[in-house]
Amino acid sequence: MERRSFLKGFGAAAACAMALPHVSSAAEEKKSGGPNEMNFETAVAAITGGKALVASAKVKMEAPEIAENGAVVPVKVSVESPMNAKDYVKAIHILASKNGNVRCANIYLTPANGEAFFGTRVKLGGTQDVVAIAEMSDGSFLTAKQNVKVTIGGCG
Amino acid sequence: MRTLSITAALVCLALLGTVNAEEKLSMSDADKKMYAELLDNNPAEMDVAEGEQLFGELIGSAGYAKMLGVKEKDLPKTIAGFPRYVEPAKRVVTLAQSIQMAAAANEKPVPKLESKEMVKISAYVKSLANGQKTNIDVKANKHMQEMMKLGQEVFEERRGGRGLSCNNCHSMDIVGQRLRMQPLPDLGAKETAAASTWPAYRMTQSQMVTLDKRMQQCMKNALLAELPLGSKEMVGLEVYVTNKSKGNTIAIPSVKR
Amino acid sequence: MKTLIKIKPKDYKAGDVVKIDFMAMHPMETGMRKNKDTGALIPAEYIDEVKFMFNDTLITKMVIWESLSVNPLMSISFKVPGAGTLKVIAKDNKGQSVESTTQITPKG
Repeated sequence: MERRSFLKGFGAAAACAMALPHVSSAAEEKKSGGPNEMNFETAVAAITGGKALVASAKVKMEAPEIAENGAVVPVKVSVESPMNAKDYVKAIHILASKNGNVRCANIYLTPANGEAFFGTRVKLGGTQDVVAIAEMSDGSFLTAKQNVKVTIGGCG
Repeated sequence: MRTLSITAALVCLALLGTVNAEEKLSMSDADKKMYAELLDNNPAEMDVAEGEQLFGELIGSAGYAKMLGVKEKDLPKTIAGFPRYVEPAKRVVTLAQSIQMAAAANEKPVPKLESKEMVKISAYVKSLANGQKTNIDVKANKHMQEMMKLGQEVFEERRGGRGLSCNNCHSMDIVGQRLRMQPLPDLGAKETAAASTWPAYRMTQSQMVTLDKRMQQCMKNALLAELPLGSKEMVGLEVYVTNKSKGNTIAIPSVKR
Repeated sequence: MKTLIKIKPKDYKAGDVVKIDFMAMHPMETGMRKNKDTGALIPAEYIDEVKFMFNDTLITKMVIWESLSVNPLMSISFKVPGAGTLKVIAKDNKGQSVESTTQITPKG
């Protein structure tokens, strides 16, 4: 069998495999970001009111370096904090830097949580940074991020 | 055939790109841990819970065991041996087909193999065998031997416009090569244990899928005509693929791409 | 909307910090997908708010967007003050709302 046509066969099979739900290709992303479309800068400004984001080791953002698929990407955020009435994490915000709507979740915590933690799974439209912003009770905004390489692979 | 499998391997390597990409593409231990944690909260658990309810309405464990001619306490081990020859049907059937038989025997509406209902019920019933080792016996009788032979023929038969067989991607020669980022799995290895870990929640489809349905989806992507669920060929194929996973521990529901 | 609440670990004492894992079966439609046959956009339909209440006091409120995976998981920590009722209220952008409860039962 000619190698060229065999490659083409896999290409066609790959095209079939591309019809994955909830994973938009780069081209689709540019067309429409959906009804809640918002870019990274705007979303950050809405959260911080223009205040600076401070990269901090106190914020632990866990997401896979290589995601097997873009539909279910596990994400865990932990923030070091005593979580008492005087000093706690008011909110954990999660953003997907290149999604049409970068906003994933805004989690408003209270001292009753005991620990500042949020875990979930997100849809990523392609390789991008998943960013966590911790809104602290002292008014500061701490941040950490993880780059996630989204693979669309296999054969279905 | 030899040339074809070498070509397939070369194609896979070509798609892989540089020689060093293998290191970059291998999942890190941290990533593996995050994906393993998906099992702790599997959306399919809610389907299995619903399956338990539906199964109870259809027949329940006691009635099901009776129909199979086994003691209720032996159900897990029996379930772990499907597809198997079942006397009332006088042929080899899959777990889902046995559930259909039970429904009919109990004069309840018979769920279609393709239905969401059947996926939930068969997942629940198979989960009763969690912890058991897949113990299919392809030598048990002439029916099983015949289905095993048929299954192997189906697995090795080249079909479709591209002349592809299951073997092109799933033979032991090809296992480990990458097809667009994913390493092709050894269906029988402990890490894959295909027949022991499906029905599974498919992340790319956000729903639970059975083994035979998964094989249909694979056929579709390889541009092969899908074998109908419940057909002799599909049952044979399931016998063959299940036998590869013999000895692996059943864990339903799991999470897969 | 089917839901499932899990407390981890299963055994805990008052004062322990446990995990509350909340899962819901929900399509989480982004509003960007097209119907394969008609080509029409499938309208956005997603959980947009989740409230966690312990003995009727709000402990965590979430604003959720369509970027969360289908059949989403929302997991938080909870410092167990004592026995009581945990209630999770999940609402979607169509106004559908589901309340799920589970008992918090510390051993000692």
